[in-house]
Amino acid sequence: MVSIPADTSDDDRTDVLPPGYRLGRWEVTGQIGSGGWATVYAGRPVDGTDAGEGEEVALKILPTAGLGPSQARKVADTARREVELGRRTGHPRLIRLLESLVLSDPRYPLLDGAIVLVMERAADSLRTLLAAGVSEDEAAGLFTGICEGLAHLHRSGWVHGDLKPDNVLVMADGSVRLSDFGLATELTGTHGTHGYAPPMGTLDYLPPERWKAPLGEHGVKVRPSADIWALGIMIHEAFAHGAAPFPGATPAARGAAVQEYAEGRAPLRLSGELPPFWRELAADCLAPTHAERGAHTAESLLARINGRPDGTASAAGAAIRRRRWLVRSTVLAAAGCGAAAAIWSYALPGNAHDHPAAVGSTGSASQSAGSIRVFNIEQSCRQRNDRSPQCSLGLAIDPLQPYTIDNVVPTRVWHGDVLPVDCRLPKGIPIIDEAGTESAQWFRVRLPEGSRRTTAWLPAVRTQDRPAVPECPRPTPLR
Amino acid sequence: MSGVVIYLPPGVGDHGEEPDGGVTLRLGAGETARFGRGSATTPVELRLIDAAISRLAGEIRVTEDHWQLSNHSTTQSYLVENPEGAGEYLRVPPRRAGAPIPFEFSRVVLPTRRDTTVAFQVFAPDHLYMDPDAVGGHRGTRTVTAYSLDETAIYFLVLVALCEPRLRDESPLAVPTTPQIVERLRAHPACARLTARAVSSHIDYLAEEKMRISAPDEYGPARGGRRNGKRESIVGLALRFGLVREEHLTLLPPRTGGGHGVHTGRHLG
Repeated sequence: MVSIPADTSDDDRTDVLPPGYRLGRWEVTGQIGSGGWATVYAGRPVDGTDAGEGEEVALKILPTAGLGPSQARKVADTARREVELGRRTGHPRLIRLLESLVLSDPRYPLLDGAIVLVMERAADSLRTLLAAGVSEDEAAGLFTGICEGLAHLHRSGWVHGDLKPDNVLVMADGSVRLSDFGLATELTGTHGTHGYAPPMGTLDYLPPERWKAPLGEHGVKVRPSADIWALGIMIHEAFAHGAAPFPGATPAARGAAVQEYAEGRAPLRLSGELPPFWRELAADCLAPTHAERGAHTAESLLARINGRPDGTASAAGAAIRRRRWLVRSTVLAAAGCGAAAAIWSYALPGNAHDHPAAVGSTGSASQSAGSIRVFNIEQSCRQRNDRSPQCSLGLAIDPLQPYTIDNVVPTRVWHGDVLPVDCRLPKGIPIIDEAGTESAQWFRVRLPEGSRRTTAWLPAVRTQDRPAVPECPRPTPLR
Repeated sequence: MSGVVIYLPPGVGDHGEEPDGGVTLRLGAGETARFGRGSATTPVELRLIDAAISRLAGEIRVTEDHWQLSNHSTTQSYLVENPEGAGEYLRVPPRRAGAPIPFEFSRVVLPTRRDTTVAFQVFAPDHLYMDPDAVGGHRGTRTVTAYSLDETAIYFLVLVALCEPRLRDESPLAVPTTPQIVERLRAHPACARLTARAVSSHIDYLAEEKMRISAPDEYGPARGGRRNGKRESIVGLALRFGLVREEHLTLLPPRTGGGHGVHTGRHLG
């Protein structure tokens, strides 16, 4: 709700609070956005009160005036859920509710009696971050935070019930906060397995069983696996440029596609853009039935994200900082060695077998232990095969020395190249790629005939292969 | 998303073991059903018994929140009527493949050699309506009510009439009976010929297809019979979850005084 841009047209159904308007200990500084039932303002503590030192807050205003009794009850119920959840299950990954109050001002008849929720102020929502595009490591940081929040919610006996990128907020330091608990449901039932929520939700994030869920006295049945489904949709959106995993031009069409999949008439077709680890994770979250999804809890997913291959499970903020540093150093390396690009220019990806030196099984002096395929983390480089210098990657002379311009062989490699590999060095100098993935492992690869050197070193972050090759003898320092 | 429901009235379809009943067929998203006279080599899911209808006359395919009609006839057009649309209909010409049908309620009419026609009904309860506050359009990212009702449909008038006493705080307990609803809606232009049987069908449609009401325990005879239990559930849930609100009362025809509504049009003096 928070991320919807403010409607600047005159809407006679709402009053707008001017900057400087006081709400208890807080004053309005401007409007952030408005959604279905709420308008959100930015605010700050009024000087001289004990509200905190200059901390920016979000003031979520839920008007009740002008609504019929049943609608007003619905709004009050929404607010009650938020307050209840905030009071009972505080956690660093859930947006903090500072206070709730009631606006009382006859000058604004439409806002008189509105419920005001005072919350900590976020910098962005996941929705806006996804629109701008996130790297794999940034996404890893974000989903780590989301799973931490979800694991806490579920452990505390609550289901979020309306998980979507608009309700995942990101603070200025890059940390994640789940927000908008208007549909959050406390688990009841004999074993605390499910709860009942109002029959509301966001169509693109509803699990298949919800489209057919019967409506009972207390609402529809909601289980933690509903949040897991929504998580799967968000993972797909994060890696597929915002695209939903189910086809269709409208929410209704996508909902029908969800049904076809859940009833076994259509396979799950995830975008090829998802890296293998995330693809598997999304597929597990999007298991067709509640029972199959039940095997994957927020906690187990969190453990998998933290333990993913080469995963550093870093906070998103740290990942972004490191990314900047590394982009600079690789650009340097690429610029210094562009002249040598011609050497392998005919060994295009896919026909490496035509090039004896690239495989090492024919004509080489000795058999190599295996082969390894170069991987370029930059997606734009993976999509082209013109071996442009900007997309070339370097090989080190000495894996124990800093990976700088004078420690790189003239031979360049490109995404998809297959190199003969002799052995691996588990602990060389640590290398961080453009997405923030870090590894100290290196592979000794053979260079084509005619190169000045016979071997060079490929950092493990430059390949997704983990060939079963022997450990290298520790190289003798060159300098 | 539960797909569409096809209903062949008695006497139209081949209904095997139920000589007097109709045939009901439920299709999920992406599923198809062929209709026609059928034969051993031309199997159809919906058999229509009329010599003028070809073995494979057409096909229904559920797609997104609506359905498509393919006309396999090379000579005959089919009509799809909206029984609530005041004469609204579509003509699907011969050999048309996958014509999208926009009606929630449809009556598919096939011509025969005689002066009569063969017709069956198709219900598409999944039609999606935006929430009244969804001013910025519907992008699938807004929180909405997951049950959407067509506020211009007769079933919605029936629902509002059912809820009226409680919305007006007149009677916290009583839910109107079918004859009371027929009487209450009689002055509405769309309901002049509404029968008690139609009201019962609308109530069943609301309970089973639109709101998917659970809690069969409440339908026990101790509560005054199955039908009344269902009505009470519909009213309770529609009010609790805001499907019917005070503003909807204006959809009903004006009340004619005193709650008895019989003495109209009399001027004294």
